[in-house]
Amino acid sequence: MSHRKRIAITGIGMVTPVGNDAPTTWANLQAGQTGVAPLQSFDASGFPVHIGAEVKNLVPGTLIHDRKLLKFASRSHCFALAAAEEALTDAGIRPEPASSHRWGFSVGAGMMAVSWAEVQAVHQFCAANGEFNPDGLLDSRFPADPIAFCRTQTNAGLALLTRHFGIRGYATAVHTACASGGQALGTALKVMRRGLADFMLAGGYDSMLNPFGLSAFCLLGALSTDNETPQHASRPFDATRNGFVLGEGAGFLVLEEWESAHARGAHIYAELAGDGNSLSSYRITDSHPSGDGAIQAMQQAMADAGIAPESVDYVNAHGTSTLMNDRSECAALRTVMGSRIEHVAVSSTKSCMGHLIAAAGAVEAGVCALAIRDGIAPVNAKFAEPDPSCQVNLVVRESKRLPIRAALSNSFGFGGSNSCLAFRHPDGITP
Amino acid sequence: MRSSPRIMITGLGAVCGAGLTLEAIWDALQNGRSAVGPITQWDATRWPVRIAAEVTGVDNRTLVDDRKLHKITSRTDLFGLYAAGEAINQSGLLPHRETLESNAAAQFNDRSGVFAGSGGGTYQSNYDFLPLLSAAEGDLQKFGSELSATVNPMWLLKNLPNNVLCHVGIRHGFKGTNGCVTNQCVSGIVALAEAAAAIGAGEADRMVAIGHDSAIEPETIFHYNRLGLLAQDVLRPFDRDRRGTIFGEGAAALVLESESTAHSRQAPTLGEFLGSGCATEATGILDVRPDGDGLARAIRLALAEADLSPVDVGMIVAHGNGTRASDASEAVALRDVFGADPPPVTAFKWAFGHTIAASGVLDLVLALIALRQNRVPGIATLNSIDPGIAPLPASSTAQQPRSDIALVLCRGFGGMNVALLVRGIIS
Repeated sequence: MSHRKRIAITGIGMVTPVGNDAPTTWANLQAGQTGVAPLQSFDASGFPVHIGAEVKNLVPGTLIHDRKLLKFASRSHCFALAAAEEALTDAGIRPEPASSHRWGFSVGAGMMAVSWAEVQAVHQFCAANGEFNPDGLLDSRFPADPIAFCRTQTNAGLALLTRHFGIRGYATAVHTACASGGQALGTALKVMRRGLADFMLAGGYDSMLNPFGLSAFCLLGALSTDNETPQHASRPFDATRNGFVLGEGAGFLVLEEWESAHARGAHIYAELAGDGNSLSSYRITDSHPSGDGAIQAMQQAMADAGIAPESVDYVNAHGTSTLMNDRSECAALRTVMGSRIEHVAVSSTKSCMGHLIAAAGAVEAGVCALAIRDGIAPVNAKFAEPDPSCQVNLVVRESKRLPIRAALSNSFGFGGSNSCLAFRHPDGITP
Repeated sequence: MRSSPRIMITGLGAVCGAGLTLEAIWDALQNGRSAVGPITQWDATRWPVRIAAEVTGVDNRTLVDDRKLHKITSRTDLFGLYAAGEAINQSGLLPHRETLESNAAAQFNDRSGVFAGSGGGTYQSNYDFLPLLSAAEGDLQKFGSELSATVNPMWLLKNLPNNVLCHVGIRHGFKGTNGCVTNQCVSGIVALAEAAAAIGAGEADRMVAIGHDSAIEPETIFHYNRLGLLAQDVLRPFDRDRRGTIFGEGAAALVLESESTAHSRQAPTLGEFLGSGCATEATGILDVRPDGDGLARAIRLALAEADLSPVDVGMIVAHGNGTRASDASEAVALRDVFGADPPPVTAFKWAFGHTIAASGVLDLVLALIALRQNRVPGIATLNSIDPGIAPLPASSTAQQPRSDIALVLCRGFGGMNVALLVRGIIS
């Protein structure tokens, strides 16, 4: 563990339900603006849940001037391209032919998604009478689309982004459901420490706000049914919380070896200082009531970063607004922080953005970096009624100014993967 | 280069069209027996491609005894769970844990991690919605309102890409560092490389690494075929007459341990992980560079990490998927790194098809068997090496490894290239 490389965050890009770039998103998170509204992108009125947190009016072509590439991009790939472009511009450095093999890529990517139109076509040609008959695909009129096929490949986002930005080093795509974004950044950190890359473009993207994605979560009963009051939906840690709100978006960070970032005069938001990663091995969708699993992830992240609970000033909670997660996460926080718990500001920015699934951990990592830069813990919006089983020091009513020496970001996924990332102020400030 | 602990391999497991045990799969390889046959999962008699290497004659209970799991997982997951179970059994990890005090056992679990490489999803998972689409008659509102009455509430859980990771954890109680790689063909081998790196960095004492996939389904075969990637009869790596690849399915798994923990419990040693390299060519989804750039860089990265020279490598298991472009550029990359005298080269996909996300791990466990047997199996379907590609020492008959070190290559969509080096135990 001796003399390990330090990793700097020098670029941030976001496409979220509360802003199509990082500054707008960050301003709206600080103001507690909600991105939750009745769904607009398709007619969801018949679904048990018809609210969500959509990305609004993103025009990818204004940022990505490659029309052929955009033809290969799904909605979530467009989010990824836009957020990555913003992060690289923000960092003021990007892959050049001579450096491209020292640039790596790590991304939390959503599940394989087949569009409504494509499944409709399969239905029309192969299952018009209900029973699936594969020979329908062989019908010469079947609208076979090789580009649509490419879009469905699990590493299509990786392929599009590495090609567009010219990244030729280590490249990976991961999926551990809602922990994906956090794990992708943890992987990037480890890859850089191993000396396999000098720079990483790392993040996550997802969009399940389509009929099949919404169906998947409706069927599980995991979503908030506040259809009539979307302005109150997604209220993590509130006693009346009733499920999460499905969101979409992308977040990317540019990570850089500390000394070289410093040498080129880059602005360093924060240090990505530690990664904790555990498996609950309890149930597929439930977290352990004691916080087991989440506890190990947070402890590992702090140990990995060399941070004691005493210097943690802010935690960006997973805080999905489900009954189970929030209670379990608070139990874990109390165990990990001990007597420090009253002094650690905690908020879930899912209260504004909803749950970005595979992108959540990546966007929230960017939020932690911005929180450290500005010394602001963003508000846990919509909070009204305390839950005795969620006793943590929530940032309520409005965002809070405080110097943040170190921050943690939690992301826990279906399947039991727990990710915790630790961030440190670049200048080692004192409270 | 390497100051981290040595990483030992203490358990192996595999399933594919050629068999349910490594012995059976090895036997097929050695004897030139291919598992490629007519597709049975649907009536493909009118299809341009009618063949694949399916896992047939095996019921789900043989793969995973727990019936409850059959309802909340997919075919690919059963393969992955089976291979993981075999590897864990062989390693003797569980009986060892039984001997520990409860605190030590809890610590053992926290220091035991899992990395899976998964195919990430199938087209046919969406077919569960077809009856609902019929009922809705194109009306989205009706689709939404009849959803709950028509579709299995567990639909999402059945199709989670990280199911194998989740259930290996739940079944065996492992709670350490973990991940699920969804990087198309290189998913499994990247998962294995990350698992080894976790031990190398001291994040875990032992890891289970799994690659699994089940991509034989109508829409996937339909699209691959339209792209000209599939052979209609035989997969012939590096052959003049190669016409494309053939789908397979299955899984492979390894247990990796730090040398000190493996040694302290006197675990069987089946091999040693030496190093890996990973590089993309940034060519987009389908394109492959003809100059083998990414693959050559991946091999050199692996050699550097293992602190080895090309002359140390005793045998090469090539990706050899049988497509024109991939095989030709692979030969260029091998020539680039190994010069005029590479060690014996073989490839295994002719025998059990291209198992996509599982392929790299499956090739790796078989490379360890090849080293143990001191025998590089021939490519039984190779008639005549393509004179148009860089010369390479591949043969239809068996060769002898030059040393106890194997290089395994794996390539995938996205211009992905991964190279991995292992030391075997020659018996």
